[in-house]
Amino acid sequence: MADKALYSSRKRRNGIATVLSYGSAGLGVGVLFLVLAVLLWKGFSGLSVAVFTEMTPPPGSAGGLLNAIVGSLIMTILAVVFGTPIGILAGTYMAEYGRHDRLTSVVRFINDILLSAPSIVIGLFIYEIMVVRMGHFSGIAGAIALAVIVVPVVVRTTEDMLLLVPNPLREAASALGMPRAYVIRHVAYRAAKAGIVTGVLLAVARISGETAPLLFTALNNQFWSTSLNGPLASLPVVIYQFALSPYADWQNLAWTGALIITFAVLTLSIAARALTSQKGN
Amino acid sequence: MNVAPSTTVPTVTHAPVDISSLAEKVGIRNLNFFYGESKALKSINLTLYRGKVTAFIGPSGCGKSTLLRILNRMYDLYPGQRAEGEVLFDGDNILDPRQDINLLRSRIGMVFQKPTPFPMSIYENIAFGVRLYDKLSKADLDNRVEMSLRRAAIWDEVKDKLNANGLSLSGGQQQRLCIARTVAVRPEVILFDEPCSALDPISTAKIEELIDELKADYTIAIVTHNMQQAARVSDFTAFMYLGELIEFDTTSKMFTSPSDSRTQDYITGRFG
Repeated sequence: MADKALYSSRKRRNGIATVLSYGSAGLGVGVLFLVLAVLLWKGFSGLSVAVFTEMTPPPGSAGGLLNAIVGSLIMTILAVVFGTPIGILAGTYMAEYGRHDRLTSVVRFINDILLSAPSIVIGLFIYEIMVVRMGHFSGIAGAIALAVIVVPVVVRTTEDMLLLVPNPLREAASALGMPRAYVIRHVAYRAAKAGIVTGVLLAVARISGETAPLLFTALNNQFWSTSLNGPLASLPVVIYQFALSPYADWQNLAWTGALIITFAVLTLSIAARALTSQKGN
Repeated sequence: MNVAPSTTVPTVTHAPVDISSLAEKVGIRNLNFFYGESKALKSINLTLYRGKVTAFIGPSGCGKSTLLRILNRMYDLYPGQRAEGEVLFDGDNILDPRQDINLLRSRIGMVFQKPTPFPMSIYENIAFGVRLYDKLSKADLDNRVEMSLRRAAIWDEVKDKLNANGLSLSGGQQQRLCIARTVAVRPEVILFDEPCSALDPISTAKIEELIDELKADYTIAIVTHNMQQAARVSDFTAFMYLGELIEFDTTSKMFTSPSDSRTQDYITGRFG
């Protein structure tokens, strides 16, 4: 016969664990919703056409975030353009050509460090090698700092996704007489496409909120500028400055900027999710 | 375990073959194979005859798949694996380092244990391999795709959905798609590595029927765990054990009066 005391103690422990799990999940999701709610509450009222058409204002006058939005877009796009090819090629080397090489273990180790490096360190690094040498802050330095953050994310996801492609698929392609580079481009990439694209989108989500690496590199710009050779405005830095300022209208703009970034990132994450789930079909 | 051994000998379908009238398509001479330090094949000597089906049988780990994967140098994809000896394909040693491996693989096709359709449409699955070595017009390509799918007895099932993803087919259909893909490249030899082990009996019967038809144009080697299958589809059988070729003869001889007692034991299910 079953030991009743043992069984009821199991049941009790199961109950406690269940309550704790639900509680933790609820807490996590609750905090997230609270953040979104406050953001919507504070930021939504400031949303207007002016936000997207006017420059960041001096304190006390009306304005928008156009220069910051455009600056962020320019630097994010450039960072992805610089970082993605390097990341995908490195990940391809690690998963396809050098799977058993020592170099791959070394690269993977360094990449993991880079992946978890504090972004302010990356900002300082670019400051030293670019800003100091050029003698001034610049949008291009900001873009490269962000690219340094993009690379390890893309390397990691590309390698992981290619490793998920079953070897028999590569063998089958090779068995038709397909050269190696062809197998990688037309079969392995195709099978891992959704995952690799998701990696790139996650990298975009990651850098679009980064403030620290831009503080030392692109700095900020109160005026309209698209020059990569001079200080460039960006949403995170504007939010940082405006939120800390004593002026109510600046603080409101900071909330609106935070709302815009959050929704941009949220949209990207959902797109990434949609792409990955498509893979199952 | 005291299970009484089954002593049923699988029935051979093919008539005995007269070896003297056959031509050698692939000649394996004194072949040794190594996974790193460990020797997986020990001085194998074997002939695949043109237009005939040769089955490789033996217990798991005996080296039959290893042997098959040497014939198109599939082992080259992995470091630390190497072959010694000679494998003559129409007289050329394919183990020669100067051998163009991709060209070789276009002449010696392979069908794998698990169906491996590429993540693309049914049409593309076939056309993809063809485009590698033949520059065909759209009409010729369409024609080649259709012929290959017909050849693999799957045309009627897919002709209305050539643009559907190859992965949307059932397991048996996927395997026939893979055979069509292999045939489309027009190889001379086709290697089957346990092509039915992931399939249900009906699909298995279709594939076996197909192999029987294909041997009119191709030289075929098939690795199988299924003794009945070896007896049904092959003209020659090679029995391997612990990396050695124990016996190689016509299938009718192997399944009725093998010379080696180990062959006898394996075929009648006393071990393995």
